Amino acid sequence: MHLFFLRLSRLMAWLGGAMLTLLILLICASVTGRALNGMLHSDMAQGVAPGLATWLLDLGIGPINGDFELTEAGIAFSIFAFLPLCHITGGHAAVDVFTQRLSPRVNRGLRLVTEAVFAAVMVLIAVQLNAGMLSKMRSGQTTFLLEFPVWWGYALSLTGAVVAAAVAIWMAWIRLQEAIIGRDLLPADLGAEH
Amino acid sequence: MSDIAIGILSFPALLLLIFLRVPIGLAMFLAGLVGLIIVTGDTTIAFARLKSETFTTFSSYSLSIVPMFLLMGHFATLGGMSQALFKAAEGWLGHRKGGVAMAAIGACAGFGAICGSSLATAATMSRVALPEMRKYGYAGGFSTATLAAGGTLGILIPPSVVLVIYAILTEQNIAKLFLAAFIPGLLAALGYVIVISIYVRLYPDAAGTRPRVGYADRFHALFDVWPVLVVFAVVVGGIYAGWFTPTEGAAVGALGTGLIALFNGGLNVGTLGESFMVTARSTAMIFFIVLGAAFYNGFLALTQVPQEIAMWVVEQGLSPWLVLLFILVFYLLLGCLMDSLSMILLTIPIFWPVMQGLDFGFVTLAELHAARASEALSQGLTLAPDILASVKSALAAGAELTQEQIKALELRGVNAGALARINTEQVAIWFGILVLIVVEVGLITPPVGMNLFIINAMDRKTPMADTYRAVLFFVASDLVRVALLVAFPIITLALIPW
Repeated sequence: MHLFFLRLSRLMAWLGGAMLTLLILLICASVTGRALNGMLHSDMAQGVAPGLATWLLDLGIGPINGDFELTEAGIAFSIFAFLPLCHITGGHAAVDVFTQRLSPRVNRGLRLVTEAVFAAVMVLIAVQLNAGMLSKMRSGQTTFLLEFPVWWGYALSLTGAVVAAAVAIWMAWIRLQEAIIGRDLLPADLGAEH
Repeated sequence: MSDIAIGILSFPALLLLIFLRVPIGLAMFLAGLVGLIIVTGDTTIAFARLKSETFTTFSSYSLSIVPMFLLMGHFATLGGMSQALFKAAEGWLGHRKGGVAMAAIGACAGFGAICGSSLATAATMSRVALPEMRKYGYAGGFSTATLAAGGTLGILIPPSVVLVIYAILTEQNIAKLFLAAFIPGLLAALGYVIVISIYVRLYPDAAGTRPRVGYADRFHALFDVWPVLVVFAVVVGGIYAGWFTPTEGAAVGALGTGLIALFNGGLNVGTLGESFMVTARSTAMIFFIVLGAAFYNGFLALTQVPQEIAMWVVEQGLSPWLVLLFILVFYLLLGCLMDSLSMILLTIPIFWPVMQGLDFGFVTLAELHAARASEALSQGLTLAPDILASVKSALAAGAELTQEQIKALELRGVNAGALARINTEQVAIWFGILVLIVVEVGLITPPVGMNLFIINAMDRKTPMADTYRAVLFFVASDLVRVALLVAFPIITLALIPW
């Protein structure tokens, strides 16, 4: 079962990474387009090969329209999709100097409470994101340039938020079992490498 | 209970949560959420904010620079740039006393120019340099401490993820902050090299010797470093020259390093997936703290606590330098317990208004008038000959311009307001670099220096205590550098136009 959630988290992270890569390509294409557009409009290009320059400009060589809002919608998905992997591998930054001195029993108790609250917060975030999406659907708000509905971005992000909430509940369940049987099922910090 | 009292009480509550090992982002989120519920009386407003605030925090165009820089750093490793850098530095420095350690510092500085994260720099360079240092008889603790310190160059030398976050929190220009970090970053590398040469003279057994490398090989190795130079020049130069926004620069850099890794055979489907996993973990960690901080700071702003604290500090009439000293010492102490990003997100919303309220008087009105006057003259402003001559002689003598001259030069817009804006920016940039350095010292100070842990984990034969002992030399060099930068703000601000 843990393997299932781990694989799901890795899948989401992969999708988030793929989206990030797409955005990088999109932005680079836009930067290149803008640079070429400037060059084709320059006196030199218009003087040397006016026909070719105008033809290329008519083809639509230039910055990509709406790259800014596409980046915003896409990066939100990436980050929501990255959350589950960070959570299930214990990647969130925490200060453990003081708790190291406490007994394993107390530590397991603390971990249980923390993970349970964390799960509640992740569920709250997902539920409210859904509510936010529904209100954007009702209002019919669209983005400025491309005029695609704002709720599309919310809907994409919601997939990540739902998986993150599910993973958080699973981790809380594991910590509950650990507290009951009095033994660690998972190492406290899974993979310290960043 | 008044709102301010609730705001103030949230500090100890938050610290308690953090010290009970609640993840820092979650702790800030909870403190903000509960505080907002108490102040507004019920859950309506707090929950309503959640409807859009998580999405808007994560869908930030300027913050999207963070995952791109992280991915870029990983691609740079895959592209073999860390090896190329170390080999070149080793060729030129390796035969000196402590030379392999110096080469490791040099390579870290080079890698820092294409990587925005300390932990990534420390981890990457250790993989390359640690075996080499051990091979040539360098002591374990000395080697690990060198690399831990070298890793902090990853964040000092632009691009830098922490500076991006600072720039967004204080609404400053990222390009100017990157530029300002440049000289302090080089000073840091130089300071570490000096520490190494002192260390190997105090403890001659700590370093072995390595044969000289011929000049042909040296230049050959240096030539292999060209991708690093190209990426750095395009990304940081392009951002500064205004060819593209910082986010666009990060995207171009990520694509560039990705292509280099692809051509060098380091990038395939497997390693790409691995890059995604590493980027995902660090990105999610950072953004969850950013989210928690956004929520907590929203609550604090509602209680007016940051403004009240800033006003209170100003009313005390303390010397601005004393206040700055307190803040820096506070960071050094907190840095022993907490990671740099959390510290910045937690404290800058409180400390920045305080710093803004203080007058360090970097630029005076007379200096500003003189600077704008010479600009106007160099642009060929037409003036009556007698005024022109008098302005020129005043500028040459360094005298204050008279009201008449200011009027003739049409400098009336250059008033106290403009001066205040420039001084605020100068303080913001200078303070940002100082904070960046002191929080980075936290990465190498016992007991919870993250860099120390990461590197010690790679060399299990070296006891942690050895690393701790040797790293104190590097911490001392950091403190000297901070003192220098505080005493001479010009070191940081020299490259920043106003």
